Amino acid sequence: MYDPANAVDGDVRDVCIEDGRIVASLPESAPRLDARGMVVMPGGVDMHCHVASSSVNVARRLLPEEHSRHHASAPPLDNVVDVPRSGADGTVPTTFTTGYRYAGLGYTTVFDAAVAPIMARTAHSQLDDTPIVDGGFFALLGNDDFLLRLIDAGDRERAHEYAAWVLASVGAYAIKIVNPAGVELWKRGTKEGTDLDTALGSGRVTPRAILETLVDAANTLRLPHAAHIHCNNLGLPGNSATTLATMAALDGRRAHFTHLQFHSYGKSPDGRWRSAAREIVEYVNAHQNVSGDVGQVMFGPAATITADAPVEYLLHKSSGRKWANVDIELETGCGVVPHEYRERNAVAALQWAIGLELFLLSSDPWRLVLSTDHPNGGSFMSYPELVRLLMDRVYRDEQIGRVERRLLAGSALADGLAREYSLSEIAIITRAGPARLLGLRTKGHLGVGADADVTVYMPDDNRASMFSTPRYVVKGGVLVVEEGQLRRAPTGHRLHVRPPFDESVTHDIERYFDQYGTVRFANYPVAGLRDSPLPVGAR
Amino acid sequence: MTQPSVVGNVTCLGCGCACDDIDVVVAGDRIVDARNTCQLGRRWFGDGQAPSAVRVDDADVGLEQAVRSAAARLCEAARPLVYLAPGLSCEAQREAVAIADLLRARLDSVTSSTALSSILASQEHGSASATLGELRNRADVVVFWGVDLEARYPRFALRYAPGPAGVHVPDGRRSRTVLAVDVGRATATVGADVRVALDAADELPTLTAIEAFVRSPDASGLFGSLADRLRSTAREIATALLSARYTALVYDAEPDDRTERTGVRFEALASLAQALNDRTRCAALALRAGGNRSGADSVLVAQTGYPCAVDFARGYPRYDPHAGSRLGVLRGHDADTALVVGDATGIPGDVAASLSNLHSVVIGPHASTTAWRARSVIIDTGIDGIHASGTALRTDDVPLPLRATLPGPRSAAETIRAVRSRVRRTLLPGHAAEPTALGS
Repeated sequence: MYDPANAVDGDVRDVCIEDGRIVASLPESAPRLDARGMVVMPGGVDMHCHVASSSVNVARRLLPEEHSRHHASAPPLDNVVDVPRSGADGTVPTTFTTGYRYAGLGYTTVFDAAVAPIMARTAHSQLDDTPIVDGGFFALLGNDDFLLRLIDAGDRERAHEYAAWVLASVGAYAIKIVNPAGVELWKRGTKEGTDLDTALGSGRVTPRAILETLVDAANTLRLPHAAHIHCNNLGLPGNSATTLATMAALDGRRAHFTHLQFHSYGKSPDGRWRSAAREIVEYVNAHQNVSGDVGQVMFGPAATITADAPVEYLLHKSSGRKWANVDIELETGCGVVPHEYRERNAVAALQWAIGLELFLLSSDPWRLVLSTDHPNGGSFMSYPELVRLLMDRVYRDEQIGRVERRLLAGSALADGLAREYSLSEIAIITRAGPARLLGLRTKGHLGVGADADVTVYMPDDNRASMFSTPRYVVKGGVLVVEEGQLRRAPTGHRLHVRPPFDESVTHDIERYFDQYGTVRFANYPVAGLRDSPLPVGAR
Repeated sequence: MTQPSVVGNVTCLGCGCACDDIDVVVAGDRIVDARNTCQLGRRWFGDGQAPSAVRVDDADVGLEQAVRSAAARLCEAARPLVYLAPGLSCEAQREAVAIADLLRARLDSVTSSTALSSILASQEHGSASATLGELRNRADVVVFWGVDLEARYPRFALRYAPGPAGVHVPDGRRSRTVLAVDVGRATATVGADVRVALDAADELPTLTAIEAFVRSPDASGLFGSLADRLRSTAREIATALLSARYTALVYDAEPDDRTERTGVRFEALASLAQALNDRTRCAALALRAGGNRSGADSVLVAQTGYPCAVDFARGYPRYDPHAGSRLGVLRGHDADTALVVGDATGIPGDVAASLSNLHSVVIGPHASTTAWRARSVIIDTGIDGIHASGTALRTDDVPLPLRATLPGPRSAAETIRAVRSRVRRTLLPGHAAEPTALGS
């Protein structure tokens, strides 16, 4: 058993399950699953992906040709309640197929990282149709017009109340910040990058002010997860300076920096891209308040889906691939461009290398966890391949030999990194770590009281094979994967919070809706969620 | 008579605008007023009355029997077709896709008849768009391209643009420049600052010329073959568009027969909107009509990967949009039994005629008032948004709640679910039925 949250590292033990939870013991007569010789871990936790939102649907709609190549028949479930559903695979699978595929990899908890609050009903509806996994989403707030007004007025405490109201109203789990101020600037016609102190209208509204306000909101409200930050200038050479400045600006505050690979680009004196992974990861290593996920790029097809709409415009212009944009009223943006990362493309190879450098130079797996920013850096279906790259140096070196090395000069990876992740470290970056960063106390571990989400792998020197087909997966006490086959598809739970807020803030919000909204204030909140909110304030 | 009561903030599905500021006045079991509505909304709410007949082969039967007959006919079908008429909540649409998947049926909606060209254009090239609130709060130039707002989207101008004031257009209409482009007989019915009339045959060359001017303002020499008049029109429009901070290009995704629904036309409009983003900002809005059509597309995309014209015959969804556009001339090998869900009175005439030749199961509001009689199972349901709550999407995919303001017949969603449960018992005998709670 590999249960790093409980300091269990390859010990031989029983896992006892009753009523969907881990318990200390069971009667001798309890049915048993023989997992001798196998590797047992908590169910996987994906803290950053794009699987259930109106923006994901923009991508699904844009890619019929991809769905046609990757049809997905209904899995042969044998449960008497769950009727299996067909769909499509590819970089942006359909809802039911998404749930089946995650469970088939041993993942049991999934968060969509970017939902416009006004579109929350659509996200909930798609999560309702994503079986097996427990799921939730983060609410986009970093370019929210009402929030920016409060910051402009110097009323940051009110901004915290507003953030709480949004999360509670739409059933979100955490605060998400995407290119703070930059998306609004794009809507105003700016196509350049944004620095921390770029003014939006008045000088009081800057990326720095937005970041401080929302990071403080998450911490003041004692949300289970820190503010989840997608920095300014994603994808631009030289953006590591922005990333480091952002980390420094938050000065000791708890904050999560997402898909750091996309924010770790240096620039050579001649203007070329270079790796700045070492600078970024050294900062993370040295600062306990900071956490991150990597956003690894994997070679092959991808679909870029982001609220960072100006990035998609630039990608469309540079790649010539088709482009969908949706400006989302008063809140955020959305852009989609299909993409492919090729081994022989110098920038793609650099991006791939930077992700691996971040992993291999990280000194604390609890604070720098696995993601591909699915489907932006690659599909979640490539996680097993990524695990192999991290655990198997010989294999990794072979792969390094295949890629275009033109931009890799000076990168730590090209210089040779010997580190190989252990199974325990893999358990940390794929389940225990994300669960802890998300503040999910019953996820990511197998101690008494934890949710009975368990994945059992058959050891295999080929770690990609091992992690791509778990022998057993248990979700909430239900055996969903049996002998490597998906057999049951129970309904997952909705993970959301309802932080308290000062009711008086709603009067101002309602007035604002009357003045500028196109949806009535009374019609904005989402009612009737599947599960009760998780507690806040108990960190 | 009962004292009237008012239900506020009700969403109207009379057109794709999905105005959610309607006050519905209810007295007894009737709607006596629907305040803030336009003529489409007044018609959509009506008096809230809906028939509640249940028939099999023209004979009145109980609901259970009708559900059993419906399931039996669908299970016996060699080539079932599930057809989504307008007027369903997203919840009911999800049930309908589920039963189509289970039956390995063809699955289509009114979208294939009315909006397919617009959708295929956006799938081929992408789109630059926005939600309606961005138009309201940002658009300083608004182009209405051959869209008959007065007849088709009557409150659009008042609620979204150009009427209301917005964050970046504080003086509302006075902060904006409005261009109306009439194309052939398709009049852009809106008060405009500039009005341009194009012959239908000139629409495409003009759009192409505008885009060329937008991409390269010095492109004047490129149009030797274009009439001087069109060239100057194109230049005038391009100049207005380029003067904008944020242009809204508004057109009808499913225009009536006054406008050609060709793919190249929609590609030209979408392409122009994308090109404008190289020089300023622009969002194109392809408007959809009423009855939660955007919701149907969205539900199908999420569950199958395609917005319409799906075929589950092989056990997974395949996209066959060009077959879908032939729904009006269904032949035996296309389908032998139809499950029609939603308001069948909203089905385009040729499709309705074609479907009525099949063995049919019709589940939806006013089903008993449609032409399907013999060889049919007819189950009237309440109207989603009047008798049943749920969710609907505005034309820009913004989701809104549907409120039940009156008690009424059983909902479409629960009725479809009951049929699905019965179908499942037949097709997958090892599967237990989901508990269902059917109303009257």
